[in-house]
Amino acid sequence: MSVATSTRRGPAGPDVSTAQPRKRAKLREFHWFVPYLFLVPVMMLFVVFFAWPAVLALQLAFYDYSIVNPTVFVWWDNFVHMVNDPRLRRAALNSLVYLIGLLPLTVVVPLLLAVLLNQKLRAIGIFRFMYYLPVVTSMVAVAVAWRYVFHDLGILNWALTSIGIVDQPIQFLLDQRTSIWAIILVEGWKSMGSYMLIYLAGLQAISADLYESAKIDGAGPIQRLRHITVPLMVPFILVTLTLEMQDATQIFTSVYVLTAGGPADSTLSLGYYIWSLAFEQFQMGYASAISLVLWIVLILMAVGNYAVSRSKRFATS
Amino acid sequence: MSTVTTQRLRARRRNWYRIVGDGVLYVVLSLIALGFIAPFVILASSALKPLSQDLFGFPPDLIPRPPSMDSFREAFRAVPLLKYMGNSIIYAVTIVPLSALVCLLAGYAFGALRFRGRNIFFIMVLGTMFLPAEVMLIPRYLVASDLGITNGYLGVILPSLLSAFGCLIMRQAFAGVPTELREAARIDGANEWQIFSRVMVPAVRPSLAIVMIFGFVNVWNSFLWPLVVLNDESKYPIALGIAYLAGIGSSDERSLAAGSVASIIPIVIVFLILQRQIMDGMKGAVKG
Repeated sequence: MSVATSTRRGPAGPDVSTAQPRKRAKLREFHWFVPYLFLVPVMMLFVVFFAWPAVLALQLAFYDYSIVNPTVFVWWDNFVHMVNDPRLRRAALNSLVYLIGLLPLTVVVPLLLAVLLNQKLRAIGIFRFMYYLPVVTSMVAVAVAWRYVFHDLGILNWALTSIGIVDQPIQFLLDQRTSIWAIILVEGWKSMGSYMLIYLAGLQAISADLYESAKIDGAGPIQRLRHITVPLMVPFILVTLTLEMQDATQIFTSVYVLTAGGPADSTLSLGYYIWSLAFEQFQMGYASAISLVLWIVLILMAVGNYAVSRSKRFATS
Repeated sequence: MSTVTTQRLRARRRNWYRIVGDGVLYVVLSLIALGFIAPFVILASSALKPLSQDLFGFPPDLIPRPPSMDSFREAFRAVPLLKYMGNSIIYAVTIVPLSALVCLLAGYAFGALRFRGRNIFFIMVLGTMFLPAEVMLIPRYLVASDLGITNGYLGVILPSLLSAFGCLIMRQAFAGVPTELREAARIDGANEWQIFSRVMVPAVRPSLAIVMIFGFVNVWNSFLWPLVVLNDESKYPIALGIAYLAGIGSSDERSLAAGSVASIIPIVIVFLILQRQIMDGMKGAVKG
């Protein structure tokens, strides 16, 4: 009968079962290994497609590895090469531009959209549907659609020239000054809906009484936004911030479809550079080294973000 | 008498404010909606325009005169789009249920059972969510080639089965089921598998639906991993097929638009039918 009691070896702590110990004791408990059986599929996938590749990535970063040439152990050469790689520097800078450029489109604008959509109005669901539509469509189709918007004689150039902002149509995707902003616009436009939904979830948790009493105290809509909505949204802003960092560092498909990293590397993202090194130029070892460094940077950023959110929570509670 | 009329007047004025305010709000909401819909409208209009009509021009002319299916015919002739959609359906009907099963099992263990190392296992699974795809691209490709599954359906399917997001949602769902339910089933003599399959899984059906809907959207739109793992175009999912159509020289702007529209239609239909579940599910996931 040792099996029957063994589940109680589990983590000791504030156990709910103390409230009704006699009832618990009578129950036939499951074998101790049963929970682990439920985890077998997920852990198998984890080991094969995450743990094993992670170890490989670590190893690969120290090799000159390509599919065509013999593999050579090169010590730190890949990492030294990173320091002197102008394209990598460009890609890293671009990724920083993506990270900062996407902030207003994913952290600020969606909050305003969510505030607008949080009104009690008829047919508000139709607007929610339309704002969210780009999220469920594929990035490939979205990028293709924007090709027509960005065309020399497309609607965007028509709008800009007829307002008089520009005299000549701009080749948004072929001009080094505009190409990265075009990608940022497409990426932000596509993901805005999902960020909006995160904020909407937060807004619906705010009690209407707060707004009522603020109204009675004479606070206008902007003051209510500034002093009630935004402070209460801080935890959600931190969530969107974390997600934005992830999204911005993973930009790939839009670049692949719209610019292929060009013109003159002006839209080259880290993801696109890694992919292109590994699968177009077959420098897998070097690409792995870059992945590894990027990985460490992202972990540090995530930890930093977490630390900030923890300290904020302590400050408010 | 007079106070009653002023009250009524005031109420009417307040009503007017409300109507005007709502009207302004509708206008603003509609203008924003236009921004979200316009690229799709332009895409659809480009796909439907007959060859005799210009795609671009100042001012833009978006109405196809007359609507024509020629570009669609050309798109389906240039690349086997039906084949790609069939592939996406193959990926969807394998990945979505299998991945949901993995998430169900894991979510049950994480959310409803107590055992040693639960948090460590959970953090491991959750950690995969914070790993950008491009970091794992190369080593995962090498693992797939070691397993001999590159360039085949399995190469796309197997690595897509682990969804940290799905495991997280299922964990929250199972944690929300009252423990009394399990205990009652156990008193009735059910074993652990029966409790799971007959009592607990039916209790989390809404969350399961969300996991499967999002799984379907992800599979239908998957691009980067299939691009890396497949060399053979005949196994491309639809999103990759559209990128292929965009890349090959023979395709023109009209058939590309038509192919893209065709690739969007199934997902838009799914979204139209299930929009409530999708959006409420997404919000629920955030709260949890």
